Amino acid sequence: MIVARDLARTYMLGAVPVRALRGVSFTIEGGEFVGIMGASGSGKSTLLHAMGLLDVPTAGTIEIDGTDVLALSGREKTRFRLNRLGYVFQDYALIPELTVEENVVLPCLVRGVPREECLGLSREVLRDVGLEGRMDHRPAELSGGEQQRVAIARALVNRPAILFADEPCANLDSATSTTILDLFARLNEEFGQTIVMVTHEDWHIRYFCRVIYLRDGLVEREEPCRTKKRRRASPDRETAVDDDRLPGDV
Amino acid sequence: MSDIGVSLFLASRSIRRGNRGTFVLTVMIIALVFVNLVFLPSIISGVVEIFNRQSIDYTYGNLVIEPKENDLYIDDVAALKRKIDRIPGVAGSSPHIQIGATFTYRGKAIPGTVVAFTPQYEKEVTALHTAVTSGDFLSDGDRDQIVLGVLLAGEEDESKDRIESLGGVKVGDSVLVTFTNGETRDMRVKGIIETMAVQADRQAYVTTGEMEDVLGISDQANQILVRTVEEGNEEEMKVALMSFGVQETIKTYEEKAQGFVTDAIQSFDIINAISTLVSLVIAVVVVFIVIFISTVGKRKQIGILKAIGIDERIIINSYVIQVAVIASLGTAVGLVFTALLTLYLTANPLIFPGGAVSPVLEAGQISRSIAGLFAVSLVSGYIPAWKTAQEPILDAVRG
Repeated sequence: MIVARDLARTYMLGAVPVRALRGVSFTIEGGEFVGIMGASGSGKSTLLHAMGLLDVPTAGTIEIDGTDVLALSGREKTRFRLNRLGYVFQDYALIPELTVEENVVLPCLVRGVPREECLGLSREVLRDVGLEGRMDHRPAELSGGEQQRVAIARALVNRPAILFADEPCANLDSATSTTILDLFARLNEEFGQTIVMVTHEDWHIRYFCRVIYLRDGLVEREEPCRTKKRRRASPDRETAVDDDRLPGDV
Repeated sequence: MSDIGVSLFLASRSIRRGNRGTFVLTVMIIALVFVNLVFLPSIISGVVEIFNRQSIDYTYGNLVIEPKENDLYIDDVAALKRKIDRIPGVAGSSPHIQIGATFTYRGKAIPGTVVAFTPQYEKEVTALHTAVTSGDFLSDGDRDQIVLGVLLAGEEDESKDRIESLGGVKVGDSVLVTFTNGETRDMRVKGIIETMAVQADRQAYVTTGEMEDVLGISDQANQILVRTVEEGNEEEMKVALMSFGVQETIKTYEEKAQGFVTDAIQSFDIINAISTLVSLVIAVVVVFIVIFISTVGKRKQIGILKAIGIDERIIINSYVIQVAVIASLGTAVGLVFTALLTLYLTANPLIFPGGAVSPVLEAGQISRSIAGLFAVSLVSGYIPAWKTAQEPILDAVRG
């Protein structure tokens, strides 16, 4: 569970202070697939960076599963990110000198898990994302969608409590985006994976269990989660539906 | 996997799959810096070795026995020589009488030194007899015959002389020798020697019998040169000679040659220190620039590694390991270059005023060079890696 209270983030643009977050509070329960949306400059990426411990808010607190993460030291934050959080970037952020398997296995190796065990976990998670046949390829040899699936596999290999995704479909076409979002939805439904995703695409909304809308660094509104089961948006993968009315649908 | 294991994992992938050209270029630069660090000291060692060799073979033997303080000569030389020759570790000894003289040839007179010895004994101690370039070496019974060093004999074309000479004396010519006691002898040049040792090549040599006749002395000498069976134990042999009752002053060849050699070595050491400093500065700058460019180019990658939870130390260590590999390979290639250069210069020595000099590689110098190169490489690799790893994650990820 994530509890954010009065989060504020001000940074300097030259000599001009920019208030990216101006007191944001919300709670995200375990197992939710939450979207963060808003116009450009509304503070959604800044909020995700703060929750992902990639940036330090100017004020406020963040609790993740009862831990006041902003009180942690730099090294403790690094360990927390490694052990508890997964992060998927817009531009995949893979290490070009490593193969698909090496990119995925790396965070596991850093935890001190034996190599063979890590290789087993990485193969399992690569199978989950449908890349078991591309393990020896380098990132440059993969399509954008495949690279993003590698990034997701890397984020998942340590079985994180929360997966953060910062506009993961921004560089992908609609079909590939659908594949990625289907994958997120399956992870959320089958494994109860908590996912917090930033996006500006309205058609992504149907995947989310809840959407937090930001405007000018403040929470404008929240569309509450009314059911755990969601309808897949993939046109060729219509699945069980409990509620056709999704957050954001008006 | 341990943290260092992860650093090794990242470093090995970066080396194997990174830019080959940059890697090879950096290794070659480190190799050349290593050659630069080792080469000059090896030449200096070669110069020192050739000078020591010449001091022993042509000028002093291993030990020099001189008269006691305030004495002009060593008395009872024959008995003392017999005593010295019986001491274990002594290969031979040769009493010398040295005196100043003026040599006159074709109206040209120059001052110099005449050294007298018994040729039979001299052959046990020095290698002067092997350095005859024309004519013959002295024989025990020779009278009115003289052997000249090549620098003293000189060249007819004075422009070829390195020091003032008699202007091209040939074997069979007569040279007028005026000794410091006023005695004058017209002596036939029996041979010319060339040792490449400046002191030996500017002296003249006669037999002991000739000199005793000139000076009117008998069984006296002002030096006894001693050859030891082994080299390098001169200090022990000096003590051994004293313990066997040699009461005269005993000096090693190093002590005798000290002034000149020490000055030369000190000058070489200053040049060497400057060269070493410049080499290390080059190594620092090159490694720093290479790693700096590498880390700046991988700024985003470093940011990503930090974002996914990899500790800064692991990232920094991966760069330090890469530098260590570059330094190791550079040193290994440098050793090969140095060995090839040494082989070449051993076959084709450098000609110095003191003789033909080949590089002498010393384990200590090589170890110091390796240690120095590693230290500066690691530091200059660590700093840019540390600096980049210190950047806020988002700044790094955004490149």
